[in-house]
Amino acid sequence: MNFAIPAIGAADAASLSPLALFLQADIVVKIVMLGLLLASIWTWAIIIGFSITLRRASKQSRAFETDFWKAEDIDRFYEARGKGEVPAARVMAAGVTEWRRSTAQRSVDREGTRGRLSTAMASAISLEIDRLSDRLNILATIGSVAPFVGLFGTVWGIMRAFTAIADQQNSSLAVVAPGIAEALFATAIGLFAAIPAVIAYNRFSHGINRLESRLSHFADGFYATLSRELETQR
Amino acid sequence: MERSEKIGLGIATAGHVLLFGALSAGFLSTPNPLKLKSPPMDVSIVDEVALKSMAPQISTEPPPPSVAPERGPTEDAAPAPEPEPAPLPEPAPKPAPAPPQPKAAPAKAAPKPEPVVKPKPTPAKPAVKPKPAPAKPAAKAKPTPAKTQATPATTPAKSAAKPNKAQAPAKASGSGKADKPKGSLLGNDFLKGIQTEADAPRKAPAPPAAASMGPQQKAALDRVISEQIYRHLRLPSGADVELLVAFLDVKLDKSGNVIGTPQVTDVQGITASNRPQVAIYRERAVQAVMQASPFRGLPPEYHNEWKWLSPLRIYARKAR
Repeated sequence: MNFAIPAIGAADAASLSPLALFLQADIVVKIVMLGLLLASIWTWAIIIGFSITLRRASKQSRAFETDFWKAEDIDRFYEARGKGEVPAARVMAAGVTEWRRSTAQRSVDREGTRGRLSTAMASAISLEIDRLSDRLNILATIGSVAPFVGLFGTVWGIMRAFTAIADQQNSSLAVVAPGIAEALFATAIGLFAAIPAVIAYNRFSHGINRLESRLSHFADGFYATLSRELETQR
Repeated sequence: MERSEKIGLGIATAGHVLLFGALSAGFLSTPNPLKLKSPPMDVSIVDEVALKSMAPQISTEPPPPSVAPERGPTEDAAPAPEPEPAPLPEPAPKPAPAPPQPKAAPAKAAPKPEPVVKPKPTPAKPAVKPKPAPAKPAAKAKPTPAKTQATPATTPAKSAAKPNKAQAPAKASGSGKADKPKGSLLGNDFLKGIQTEADAPRKAPAPPAAASMGPQQKAALDRVISEQIYRHLRLPSGADVELLVAFLDVKLDKSGNVIGTPQVTDVQGITASNRPQVAIYRERAVQAVMQASPFRGLPPEYHNEWKWLSPLRIYARKAR
């Protein structure tokens, strides 16, 4: 980071250089800032990774469903594509597994089989959704806590600035301003981390809900098919 | 950690480093153009208000005797002093070229040294007219002393300092007609008497006079200022407008210019019938002061006295 050195060397208290503000700050404020910076990095890592995962999952699920409804033979389709990582495939796999287990016996309990099929696919759906939305709670936490952490750093920094006033017996703006600026920088970083986190959290929970409803539609359709099959057997 | 999360972490870290690096490099840092200077301000705490006595100091020296010996009979004296004061500045320079020449030129040379350089042009012209060389400096010399004489004569007259006025006619009568045996009551020595009389008592109380004014100077100053203001005061039309008196707060600089806009602090004499004109009269009063600016004839040595006229009363009834 050679380019940042002149900003520090200038020691211009009024500069808005983040590095200079960070280096001037108190140790507590520094820790707060570092934590918030890490939180920001983590937030963006989750945002990027999650959007990739979610887009891929919903795209593959849609493609899988389309292919599934076109398929002639469910068993063959399952053998061909049912073992994949696609959420819809997992739901289908759960249904097919349960179906095979239930119909393997000689006498089939239809109601029991229907109940077990429904439960198996529902639990597969919720498992998939849980696996996908694993990181969302982190976004929610960062979004709600980061402003408070930043505010803590600000309050601490301003307290320190006032102590500086008391020490120097001087309340001119030149004494107070740098301390307050660096203190406010903590809140700035907190908001910097929190705002994308909140936006991403709302957007991703909406996407997860859509995926979940799509999966349950698919599960319902598959359940109906299996249930019809159960009627026609024997 | 999945692959997509690793990708996300890498991108996020790179983005943050880039962003904070760019911010640190200073393309967003404000140059802070104003350095928050606080120039020192002079504060003088004034605790002495009118500690100086305004009463005139009594001089211990006896006034010098005024010597004004009579000369000649009193019969012809009557016409002489009357017309003199007003036309004084103009006739003084003009008679030089033509009229006095036939009269006794050497006779005039004797009494005239008191005004500045008059006698020299007068003999030069009749005698040495063909000669160009001495005539020119003489001709040039004429206007300048004449003017310098004229201006001091008019300014003290305006500032209405009474001793000066008294001097002016005295000079006129003393210089112009003293030598004529018939003419005046006043002799040559009269001026000396006045000058010594004027100088002697004035030099004793000089220091207080420079700092503060006596009531006479104050009255004279008031007259000078009000004369210039009322010349510009235009009254609004309406009943009982003459009763209004505006109190103004006026600041003047050394050359008599009004600083800023005068503030009307109060208006008195308001009755039911002239109430609608009050606002207009306030404006007119301020206008009159602004139009009278710069004020002339204010003694600069008394600037302390007239730099802040508060309250300056402007009487509607005095408007012209």
